[in-house]
Amino acid sequence: MHEVSVMSNLLEIVTATADREGAGTIDVIHLRIGEMAGINFDSLEFAFEILSKGTKAEGGRLEYERVALMGRCSACSSEFHPEDLVFRCPECGSGGVEISAGREMEVDYILLDEEGS
Amino acid sequence: MHQINVGEDLRERNREIAAENHEMLRRHGVFSLNIMSAPGAGKTSLLVKSIPLLKDKYRIGVIEGDLQTTRDAERVGALGIEVHQIQTGGVCHLDAAMVHSALHQLDLDLLDILLIENVGNLVCPAEFDLGVDARVMLLSITEGDDKPKKYPLMFTESRLLILNKVDLIEMVDFDIARARREAMDINPRIEIIELSCRSGAGIEEWTGWIEKLYSESGVE
Ligand SMILES: Nc1nc2c(ncn2[C@@H]2O[C@H](COP(=O)(O)OP(=O)(O)OP(=O)(O)O)[C@@H](O)[C@H]2O)c(=O)[nH]1
Ligand SMILES: [Mg+2]
Ligand SMILES: [Zn+2]
Repeated sequence: MHEVSVMSNLLEIVTATADREGAGTIDVIHLRIGEMAGINFDSLEFAFEILSKGTKAEGGRLEYERVALMGRCSACSSEFHPEDLVFRCPECGSGGVEISAGREMEVDYILLDEEGS
Repeated sequence: MHQINVGEDLRERNREIAAENHEMLRRHGVFSLNIMSAPGAGKTSLLVKSIPLLKDKYRIGVIEGDLQTTRDAERVGALGIEVHQIQTGGVCHLDAAMVHSALHQLDLDLLDILLIENVGNLVCPAEFDLGVDARVMLLSITEGDDKPKKYPLMFTESRLLILNKVDLIEMVDFDIARARREAMDINPRIEIIELSCRSGAGIEEWTGWIEKLYSESGVE
């Protein structure tokens, strides 16, 4: 269950941001989660319910969007979606492919309530 | 209501500590590996089999990550080398901060190679960089040859894949060629060693791989 440690990290980030902005509560936390990120949103939500108690995020909503997996060829720079997880460039055949998207596990934005500011 | 853009990666803090670990290990001239696999694939057996072949030439230390018990640390400690145990208390992986406090408790000046056995789990450890020189994963042939495509992340992150328990090949329905091919689909640069901790096959190829990386890493 690393969702718990990821969630405490997340709450630290968003509550620090809310404090800095002088906001009373955090209404929405919007995440970007890559197709290939090793995290489960349901477990994350479960951890959120428990760990947000007593913080500015309590009662807020956790939402997310999926980011599609993409590879970029280091040899010819073409970008592609690795079909069936084959990380070989469809243009030039090179195996030197970096994952350019799809590993995200990040807080994109939050919606804050002015109250308390 | 107003929107604040954050754009912060949830692994960022871990990455920072991992970078500190790496710097600290380098400063003390220690080469390090993070060994990952599903529960029971043979991580501890691999250490027990291979450390005797290395310990006369290199000063070896081990960090044992375990959910609850000290069993693995005792098995490795019996080899007469320095072992530090991390009990994660239910957390499914080691993170950089856990390893960081362990590094402070080891006398790094007395080590050449640090081997870290991660918690048995095929997914989570892959997301947490520990600051080591290279990551190694084991897949035992009793787990099934479909694992690379089902759990791709660890194959992406590993420099070496060890196919363990090949002594059981007649007993199980595991297509080694398929596992190799699918691992290389995911990570075309991955190196693969077929090995058996039971028969000892492949153990010298593994210790040779460690020695090669050790000398290439430039630690002294
Ligand atoms: N037949 C066979 N059995 C093996 C081999 N390697 C390990 N085992 C057995 O597999 C079981 C698990 O091995 P461990 O070395 O404890 O595995 P591990 O990955 O350290 O397990 P955890 O730390 O619990 O995740 C033990 O019963 C070993 O004896 C092998 O090459 N062949
Ligand atoms: Mg073990
Ligand atoms: Zn290309």
